[in-house]
Amino acid sequence: MSFDTRPAAFTVNGRQVEIEAAPTERLSHLLRERLGLTGTKVGCDAGDCGACTVLVDGMPQCACLMPAARVAGRQVTTVEGLASDGRLSALQAAFLRHGAAQCGICTPGMLMAAAALLSVNPRPAPAEAEAALGGVLCRCTGYRKIVAAVCDAWADAPRPAPVPAGRAVGAPVARLDGPPKVTGADVFGADRWPAGALWVHVIRSPHHHADFSFGDLAAWQAATPGVAAVFTAADIPGRNAFGVIPPFADQPALAVDAARFRGEAVALVALEPGAAEDFDATAFPVTWEELPAALDPEAAKSAPAIHPARPGNLLIRGLVRRGDPDAALAAAAHVAEGAIETAYVEHAYIEPEAGCAYMDGETLVIHTCTQAPHMDRDDTAVMLGLPPERVRIVATSTGGGFGSKLDISIQPLVGLVTLKTGRPARIVYTRGDSMRSTTKRHPARMRARIGTDAAGRVTGQVFDGDFNTGAYASWGPTVANRVPVHASGPYSVPNYRAEARAIHTNGPIAGAFRGFGVPQATIMQEVLYDQLAADAGIDRLAFRQLNALTDGESTVCGQRLSAVGIGACLAALEGPWSEALAWAADAPAGPVTRGVGIASCWYGCGNTALPNPSTIRIGVTAAGEVVLHQGAADIGQGANTVIAQIAADALGVALGAIRLVGPDTAFTPDAGKTSASRQTYVSGRAAEAAGRALRSAILRHANVAEGASLGFGQGTIVIDDGAARHVIDLAALAEGRDGYVFAAEETYDPPTTALDADGQGTPYAVYGYGAQIVELSVDTRLGTVKLHRITAAHDLGRVINPVLAEGQIEGGIAQGIGLALMEDYVPGRTENLHDYLIPTFGDVPEIHHILIEKPDPEGPFGAKGLGEHVLIPTAPAILNAIRHATGALVTRLPATPDRVLAAIRSKGA
Amino acid sequence: MRFEVAASVAEAVRMLAAEPGTTRVLAGGTDVLVQLRSGLVEPDLVVDIKRIDGMREIRAEDGGFRIGAAVSGAELGEDAGVRALWPGVVEGMELIGSTQVQGRATLAGNLCNASPAADSVPAMVAADAVARVAGPAGERDVPVAQIPAGPGKTTLAKGEFIVSIFLPARPAGSADAYLRFIPRTEMDIAVCSAGVSLTIGGDGTCTAARVALGAVAPTVLLVPDAAAALIGSKLDDAALDALAAACSAAAKPIDDKRGTVAFRKKVAGVLARRAAVIAAERARG
Repeated sequence: MSFDTRPAAFTVNGRQVEIEAAPTERLSHLLRERLGLTGTKVGCDAGDCGACTVLVDGMPQCACLMPAARVAGRQVTTVEGLASDGRLSALQAAFLRHGAAQCGICTPGMLMAAAALLSVNPRPAPAEAEAALGGVLCRCTGYRKIVAAVCDAWADAPRPAPVPAGRAVGAPVARLDGPPKVTGADVFGADRWPAGALWVHVIRSPHHHADFSFGDLAAWQAATPGVAAVFTAADIPGRNAFGVIPPFADQPALAVDAARFRGEAVALVALEPGAAEDFDATAFPVTWEELPAALDPEAAKSAPAIHPARPGNLLIRGLVRRGDPDAALAAAAHVAEGAIETAYVEHAYIEPEAGCAYMDGETLVIHTCTQAPHMDRDDTAVMLGLPPERVRIVATSTGGGFGSKLDISIQPLVGLVTLKTGRPARIVYTRGDSMRSTTKRHPARMRARIGTDAAGRVTGQVFDGDFNTGAYASWGPTVANRVPVHASGPYSVPNYRAEARAIHTNGPIAGAFRGFGVPQATIMQEVLYDQLAADAGIDRLAFRQLNALTDGESTVCGQRLSAVGIGACLAALEGPWSEALAWAADAPAGPVTRGVGIASCWYGCGNTALPNPSTIRIGVTAAGEVVLHQGAADIGQGANTVIAQIAADALGVALGAIRLVGPDTAFTPDAGKTSASRQTYVSGRAAEAAGRALRSAILRHANVAEGASLGFGQGTIVIDDGAARHVIDLAALAEGRDGYVFAAEETYDPPTTALDADGQGTPYAVYGYGAQIVELSVDTRLGTVKLHRITAAHDLGRVINPVLAEGQIEGGIAQGIGLALMEDYVPGRTENLHDYLIPTFGDVPEIHHILIEKPDPEGPFGAKGLGEHVLIPTAPAILNAIRHATGALVTRLPATPDRVLAAIRSKGA
Repeated sequence: MRFEVAASVAEAVRMLAAEPGTTRVLAGGTDVLVQLRSGLVEPDLVVDIKRIDGMREIRAEDGGFRIGAAVSGAELGEDAGVRALWPGVVEGMELIGSTQVQGRATLAGNLCNASPAADSVPAMVAADAVARVAGPAGERDVPVAQIPAGPGKTTLAKGEFIVSIFLPARPAGSADAYLRFIPRTEMDIAVCSAGVSLTIGGDGTCTAARVALGAVAPTVLLVPDAAAALIGSKLDDAALDALAAACSAAAKPIDDKRGTVAFRKKVAGVLARRAAVIAAERARG
């Protein structure tokens, strides 16, 4: 395509600009690519996500749907135009105060939609805010804090006072990396690129399974304007196989001869700057020969092996066995049995994968959004045939991850182009690229039987599940190992057998997604618990309390537990449970019925029975500045703030005095990956140790006893032990190799043990617990479910930051709602954000949180992980509430209205 | 691809008729720009009609309203006259997309995109709305129901485009309503939908009705049996049940991940019944 261009003069944030715009150039492209206003984000390019919302003459518009030429003569306002004279607007301040921005990728769109509302309605009611912002999707927050911020913006509350030294842990401080998220200054994967960067286009398989061959690539390249280079698997200098778990590494960066799933990358086209808009990928010379595809895991078991070394398409089997469950079930007074099936779930972060690469001398530097900078570095180096020290990964801000950005995506692709051409390169996945090629939550087919004695005590459980792991291993082994450990729930189950299998298909790759299979397994267990409570004639909450694990009891792995918080969580829900039951009983007559449900969770923090150390470094410069090398990727959950809070209190410095560095593999030690709810606990513990070590070094230097206060000033540290002030003149000290006069680096690795053949051992050192109550109504004529309220009690051990903790809970619940009610990824059918539905404002009800603190001696200041726990109880509690409302159990997720209605009808039949 | 801005209807027709390849008409662009971006269509010519006189006007005519082809959903919703006469058409249009999309999306565009699930179309068909089509042979008026030919296809001939939609006058005691069914609370595509327009006489008897269903067939479905169930009745339960049964029987949906055949047939009846109740409440004032 080529167009005539037309001059367009318009005003952006008060500045007059004149630009030649092709008539179909979209305003989003003009703003980002040509005016450098990258605060306007592109999440879908189709008007579905609203991230690119800007104001045109005061009205909110999707910049991706607006031809740039149409703004001629008009006033455009972007997020960069909200603050004035460096002072945040009241709305921006309210977003920070309420924790309404997590990863920050949707924040500009939310802010602009809100600004339009507030200009005509300065004090909106929550329903008005929801209606005005309903066109902007968020995957992190669960929306409630955004509504609160918009409705509270008029208050323009004063900035809270800085937190004094020693008081950071437990304080509801606003996220330290928040201000750039509300001004548009934050840099995400697609937001910066070197001048002259080549644009990398990925050629992907349109088939689930196909052989392919290339035509004359050199001739095509020569004949196609703007093509700088073409690369295929033959160009990869190292080992063309990656995988997050090295023994299972099986995925090529570019496929060789055959594609095993729809969306698999087979070739790269590097385009000259500016050539991407006119590039026609359909002319690329590749010939496909479609092959039979195994998409159903049951059929895949007897289909030809997708990987020859894995017969029956069995990737791995995980097993935990304890006692004699068959005998226990045979002798049980009550036995519940059932099956549950779940769907592929897409992570649907609003930021598609993106990044850029350039050479810095001999070092290949890649800037990208990621959950695991060091893993990215090591895998990219192997694939590109470089030693790890010649690859540097600079983590940009990451616009949501939820597990999928643990895996390599763009890194070797953009790296290969730069390494081969010597030129800078950039890559920005489209929404379709992101959905087609990256990982999903495992679809699960599970069966279970659980038995109790006459008093309702669980005596035995058997669980069996097939998890569709797709074409490559990714995190399939982790899911298969984690599920049997957790499928009992946080309950005492003396006789137990659980087996989970990861089965290859030609479907999308299933990998890590907030909970690693535990959310699916918990659905199976918790719906049977409702059945058992009914059979035993016990209230559903009381049944769970009767069976909840307590301190000193052993898990199904034979691990004796301490700091068990499930009992406290369930006890805290007693009042809300009675109120919920009363609400449900008070339903008006008619086709709309009410129900309440409850479910629990537990979740081990960190890798399952494997080492997963984190290292944190803190230094003091000669100027007296405290620098925290914080390598734990903050994907919105808040590691930049939480790790700093822990480090500040361990060192004894005011939080505001800490400067953050990283994550950047050149400057931050390896803090592991942001997964498995491990950062607050594992990296936090390393930060605590580093802070304490640094403090000791300083006190030792001044020969002052523990307990003194530290004051970091201009070139000095002032130590006050109550009796005297000791001043360290930092300029007089020698700087170490990092440029610090004092520094400490500490590593922490959870004390776990390998599991034996029966899955017995200590898979995790710390567990977190929680339980949630869902209140909902069901329109029994249409099958629609309307959530009324969710009450969530979670044991965090020690709450490091209550605002961030609540944000995790609300965001996790929103994803649990999606899993339960609407999300179902079908390759080829739902590769966008209007056919693939995630919850919007109206889908997430009022949420009440109850934060429980049962300190764990292993955790920093007693803290446990939280990030994944919060999602786990939501879906089973919803299914249990639907059954309470209708008498019908939906056994195939998502519980879409047609399935709810079918379940109601089959119950009546 | 060429891009042209037409200054008049005649010029737009001339451009569209002269182009031998694929053409697209750009009004709000909420569908066309997405199709271009995703490579779903590669038109040879795009003609922008937004600057043609009258395209962005709502004009009173013969007791009804003529809606220009480039009038946005937001502009339609702000027109008190249209909202009072045809509230169901307005609520159908306002369900399309978000606030951000409402500033651009148009009735004519929603009709020409020819999605079976288009939210504004069942209400327009129930309203017996008429599209004015300009083409090489001049202008002709076509009932809205005759515009869609199937998913993504219209009956418009080479060189033709819709210049306006006419919503007719109606007697006192008339109103309409539109309901759609979606699994999400907002920003979603109809799994099934129903538009009902009716008139209630002084004695409470329904004297006229039109019932149209969306997303249950390749094109919008007018259901005369459903209308017949209402006409002559007092809109009592028996009449409403008969309406629902007629809608369920007439629906010819497909099975897909958004809903099964059985579910859509049932919901078609439930929605039409509920829409009829709302329309009747409005008609009775």
